[in-house]
Amino acid sequence: MKNFFLLFLGLCLSVSAFSQAKKKADKQTEAWRYEIEVLSTGAQGTYQIKVWSYSKKASVASEQSKKNAVHGIIFKGFVGKQGVPGARPLADSPNLENEKADFFEPFFEDGGKYMKFVSMTTDGAIGAGDVQKVGKEYKVGVVVNVNVAELRKDLEAAGIIKKLGAGF
Amino acid sequence: MKKFLLLAGMVGLFLGVQVNAAAQAKKPTIMVVPSDAWCNQNGYMLEYDNQGRKDKVPDYYRALQENTDLLLVISKINELMAERGFPLKNLESAMKTLRQEAAEDALAASSSGESVAESPIDKLKKTAKADIWMQLTWTVNVQGPKRSITFNLQGLDAYTDKQIAGASGTGAQSFASETAVLLEEAVLAHIDNFNVKLQGHFEDMFTNGREVILRIKRWNSMDGDLDTEFGDMTLGEIIDGWVNENTVNHRYSQTDASENMMLFEQVRIPLFDANQKALDTKAWARQLQKMLKEKYQIESKLGMKGLGQAVITVGEK
Repeated sequence: MKNFFLLFLGLCLSVSAFSQAKKKADKQTEAWRYEIEVLSTGAQGTYQIKVWSYSKKASVASEQSKKNAVHGIIFKGFVGKQGVPGARPLADSPNLENEKADFFEPFFEDGGKYMKFVSMTTDGAIGAGDVQKVGKEYKVGVVVNVNVAELRKDLEAAGIIKKLGAGF
Repeated sequence: MKKFLLLAGMVGLFLGVQVNAAAQAKKPTIMVVPSDAWCNQNGYMLEYDNQGRKDKVPDYYRALQENTDLLLVISKINELMAERGFPLKNLESAMKTLRQEAAEDALAASSSGESVAESPIDKLKKTAKADIWMQLTWTVNVQGPKRSITFNLQGLDAYTDKQIAGASGTGAQSFASETAVLLEEAVLAHIDNFNVKLQGHFEDMFTNGREVILRIKRWNSMDGDLDTEFGDMTLGEIIDGWVNENTVNHRYSQTDASENMMLFEQVRIPLFDANQKALDTKAWARQLQKMLKEKYQIESKLGMKGLGQAVITVGEK
């Protein structure tokens, strides 16, 4: 009985620690604490990017990368590199996240709609050298594909961003 | 009650349609064309005698018939723009329509045997037209076995000849890829950035009006000139005052003026008239022409150069 209680307590603590790490990772997404590096233009309508996320747990950082990728494409954009041009964010203003909080809060919650527009390459396997220990936390780089064409269409349909030639 | 709701719904729908119809500005037409530099490099030029001087113009018809890479790039850009809800005018179809029209005009005859009226100016103006040109240029760079594409897409406003959007760059080097594949990659890489700038141009247009040019000239036969006084103002001042009143936020520059001519540049005309009807350069300049005739009994001729340059020649029609 005592062993069972200890096991139960350990499980609860572990779930709570994971949940805390997830919440912290979400806060870091909101605080724009992630980096995006473009890899290639990808297939038509997609961007292939590497997202570097931070967390005390490497698994949380890896999972958070999908959210960060979509967040980054909407609000941050990325700089180009030799042979691949950079891209501006889809949002016209960086304040859009606060202005349209009613839309973005459910959009970015765990399992939210953002999942529809992102996929991990190599089933989320992380390359050698893409997990770095920085102080007390991990910095994890994950390669993801963002379906920017569909994401843009969805935001346009919801009235979050303007259509090309809106008003004509 | 049910009937009242139905009636109210129908009235609401009708008003909604009216408001929506009134709020639509004229959608600019966009067409992709190869640049003069690309046509020259690839030998698609036509040479003609321009009053004793040999001039060259791009031969789009032959370029489209002979260069499949060009067709691929145009088709890819058209496809991507259509996906963004902005279908483009197709150059190849526009060229075919022009040829067809010319052939039909040449054969057409009225019942009394008269041919279609066409002035030398009409003949000169018979070219493919669009509000915005997407002008593209590319070069294939070869370095040993490696190849890359330098791609340049420029958005040119036919109204003002200004570059209003652009995206350019050199793609990654490749050992194996064919030119067609490299070109497709280049289009995919640059089209989003191009569209961001194009959207910025549209937003500026909605806020500050459409930018056009107005030129005033005088026929030799006119009794008087632009310095002739009507009351306490010269004709030039009257025209300047009208332009000032009929531009968005009074934005325009009078860059040149004499007793015989006036040139107004960076003239920002509203997208809608007082009745919320879509307004273009000709319709806007027509209002000035009407005002001169109604208030001062001055006849004038209104002509257009391209889509965004109105020329009013005062003195007679």
